[in-house]
Amino acid sequence: MKVGIPRALLYHRYGRFWEEFLAGIGAEVVVSRRTDKVLLQKGLSHVSSEICLPIKIVAGHIEELVGKIDVLFLPRLLWLEDKLYACPKMIGIVDIARMMTGDRVRVVAPKIQGSLWLPHFRAGMELCHDPMRVARALTRARRHIPVHDRTPLFPDGEKRVALLGHFYNIGDDFISRPMVDTLTGHGYRICTKDELPESVLRSRQGFARSIRWVYERELYNAFRFLVDKVDGVCMIVSMGCGPDSLVAEFMRDEAQRRDRPFLQLVIDEHTGTAGIVTRIEAFLELAERRQARALQISDSRLKIGGQGRAA
Amino acid sequence: MKASFPNLGYDTYALKTFVEDLGGEVILAPPNSRRTVELGALHSPELICMPYKITLGNMLEAIELGADTLFMAAGARKCRFGYYHYLHERALKDLGKECRFIAVTQYSPFDFVFKVMPGIFGVSPFRVIRAVAKLLAKSRLTQEFRQQLNRKMALDFDGAEQAKPKALSVIERAHTLKEIQAARGEVRRIFALNGSEPAIRLGLVGEIYFMIEQFASQEIEKELGKMGAEVVFERSLYRHIRHLLSSDPAFVRSGRLARRYLQESPGGEAIRTVGEAVYFQQQGLDGIVHIFPFTCMPENIALEALQKLSEETGLPVLSLSFDEHTSRTGLLTRLEAFVDLVKRRKLGRRLHRN
Ligand code: SF4
Ligand code: SF4
Repeated sequence: MKVGIPRALLYHRYGRFWEEFLAGIGAEVVVSRRTDKVLLQKGLSHVSSEICLPIKIVAGHIEELVGKIDVLFLPRLLWLEDKLYACPKMIGIVDIARMMTGDRVRVVAPKIQGSLWLPHFRAGMELCHDPMRVARALTRARRHIPVHDRTPLFPDGEKRVALLGHFYNIGDDFISRPMVDTLTGHGYRICTKDELPESVLRSRQGFARSIRWVYERELYNAFRFLVDKVDGVCMIVSMGCGPDSLVAEFMRDEAQRRDRPFLQLVIDEHTGTAGIVTRIEAFLELAERRQARALQISDSRLKIGGQGRAA
Repeated sequence: MKASFPNLGYDTYALKTFVEDLGGEVILAPPNSRRTVELGALHSPELICMPYKITLGNMLEAIELGADTLFMAAGARKCRFGYYHYLHERALKDLGKECRFIAVTQYSPFDFVFKVMPGIFGVSPFRVIRAVAKLLAKSRLTQEFRQQLNRKMALDFDGAEQAKPKALSVIERAHTLKEIQAARGEVRRIFALNGSEPAIRLGLVGEIYFMIEQFASQEIEKELGKMGAEVVFERSLYRHIRHLLSSDPAFVRSGRLARRYLQESPGGEAIRTVGEAVYFQQQGLDGIVHIFPFTCMPENIALEALQKLSEETGLPVLSLSFDEHTSRTGLLTRLEAFVDLVKRRKLGRRLHRN
């Protein structure tokens, strides 16, 4: 039996886990190829033009898989611990997939509510019917769920930029390549949300407490954690993304208050590499000017301090 | 206390009576206008959905008129609506507006009656319950008014336009339960429907703010009425309050009917939109008009379901998203084309049957 997983959305976090798990129960796993223009184009014809880029992309991946697979494996994330919800579109994508594929493929969609274990076990049983084998495959695959518990180091004298955005945007080369290349090309180290430890991302301090979307809370926490450690914050927002339109606003506010350059990079299927590069370069220039100014200020402060002592 | 709240279509009156019943003095925001939207949009995040911009505009205009306490509903925080009030509050503070801002959570009716409202107005829960009963009665009245108005417009547009202000003033004047009861009869008399059938009947579904506040959708009911289509709707403030009190059978029905397309609620009102559309289709309506704010998340999911419904049943569906830049001419052209299509389809089917 061929089971297909679209290389999009949650795949960028749970992909290895799913592949391992499905292989463990004896399925032949087919993962769609990396996102490219053709795939995106396929997606565009299936969903409304107002929808955010990641959903358009996942639609393309699904369309790509149809015909090559018997079963589409597309878990539906409703909420994770602490009743933190997924975004409406992430919940709805499973239904869109069902409507798109009709009876051409069977859609298996474990419903994730809090824990991963039970829904995956049930989904495994739908495919394999041998509880022992499913349980064993799950236990074995579990180590592939990424967990971070170490805080990265932030040495002095290093140029750093926080590149924030949903992991399925940052993790998808098709989207993030031009941004990453431009930033590293200018000698910046890129800090993302996904290298931060859970303790930071799950924090319920301050406004994060009021955010009830699981990945937005992570983003906001990452922002709070990184904002003072970097020269600037660049936030990737998909055009039409509801949650980001809000949370980015709170970030911009805070960045302004702390005098950090903040760039909200809005992307959709028409965004060209050239536009992105220009905007990032302008942003880096701002960051560098601010750096220089900060140095000057601390320089002059030193001098004043010196005079004070002399007098 | 000079209380105000964002306009909510014809139900603004119902809410006004509610606050007055609790002993507050109400300063209504000026009727929604171009200026309202522009004012709101000016101080809004660029990519936020449209109800936010209009409601912020309402608040700013109400403050200009002297309001010092602002009420805003808050939701479950699954969708942007649940976060509106954080942004509202912040925007007002940034603009240096001195006023009390009160976000009222919708989904705990018990707290609402026994804690929140008594706390704010210093009244007994008993009085709150009475006020809620009246709010229900009055919002039901506006719902009926809208239904009759829509039908009348489709049959006799000029007559409806003439009768409308009269009916509205009757509604505005009705204060006690008895008066509201009497007003129901009077409104019916004013619109005097003679039982004839409009050429076509269209079901209106979509995001709830758009369903209630006609300004946002550029008065789509009126425009469709002018073209001879009766607009049938189910969502209203009345139904919404019933739903919050867990006593809305239509909500359960929508959930059941929508399951064919959406097996899980993506939040917001998507399930209702789809459920109502399926229901309208079963009731033999001639088409569906689906309205929502540009980039609205749940409704964009519902849109896919409605497309599927249309594919499967042949029912014409027109999905329209709006923001403050939506062109009126463009909208009217699309509506006209759609109404034409529906009329032709209906005629064709009737001929076919004969
Ligand atoms: S969080 Fe934003 S980008 Fe992600 S699926 Fe939802 S709307 Fe799209
Ligand atoms: S339902 Fe639509 S309009 Fe309402 S808050 Fe959500 S995205 Fe905005």
